Amino acid sequence: MNPGRDEAEAARRLRDTISTQFGRSLHIRTLDTGSCAVCEQEIRLLTAPHYDLHRLGFFFTPAPRHADLLLVTGPMIRAFDVAARKTYEAMPGPKVVVATGACALGGVYPKDPFVHGNAGEVLPVDVWIPGCPPSPLALLHGLGVAVGRLAEMTPGLTFIADSAAGGGEA
Amino acid sequence: MPLWFARGLRRGVVTTRYPARPDESAAWLPTPPAFRSRQLTRDVADRMVAVCPATALRRRDDTLIFDVGACTACGRCAETAPDAVAPSGEFELAATARSALIKEIPIRGGGR
Repeated sequence: MNPGRDEAEAARRLRDTISTQFGRSLHIRTLDTGSCAVCEQEIRLLTAPHYDLHRLGFFFTPAPRHADLLLVTGPMIRAFDVAARKTYEAMPGPKVVVATGACALGGVYPKDPFVHGNAGEVLPVDVWIPGCPPSPLALLHGLGVAVGRLAEMTPGLTFIADSAAGGGEA
Repeated sequence: MPLWFARGLRRGVVTTRYPARPDESAAWLPTPPAFRSRQLTRDVADRMVAVCPATALRRRDDTLIFDVGACTACGRCAETAPDAVAPSGEFELAATARSALIKEIPIRGGGR
């Protein structure tokens, strides 16, 4: 489990750097690696009046050169290897990679000759946002986690509905 | 312009306060399942593993391994075993370590 802890430590350091260097202005580039476009629909909703991403200091940019954060969707098809690498390399450092949706997290498509099945196979992912698709609220939380403004909740969740003492529920 | 401004004030603000305050729409989101470990048997677990389209569930002896990151919250496991599964209601699931999303559910029901 040592590599995992090192990764978490590195991610925390990176988040500290980014929150100090970028303050409340962070530019996002989305990268669709073969997604069904429902993740993109939810991402697009972030700029709608109800969620209003800009109030939090996040902005979308069309150019990886201007981006601080790469929002990756889709199961990472192999045909996209070169483009994914070029996009990542074009971004100035420090940079954050956020894998979005069950496909990018390795859920829906298994590894096969056509897809890697996991964004982590190609890019160094810092934050994982589960969901199929992740709702705009989940995306907001994930972006908050990526810049160190919101706390991670998953380590404390068990997904067990009856705790050690329980048992009476139907 | 002043008319539109006055109208805006009168009609209220539609923007959520989400990170600062909870958003009421969160209650309607499909969320990954939470399991009632006492209702789980190996047989029930195997049936849920078989219907999971996202391979988010695996069984290792008396442990159900639930990969929250792979889960699509489709609800098929809850259809298969309505007694043992209910929506967790959790949507703030972002994690900095992939391993933090893999949960182990003890199988406590059955012959014991």
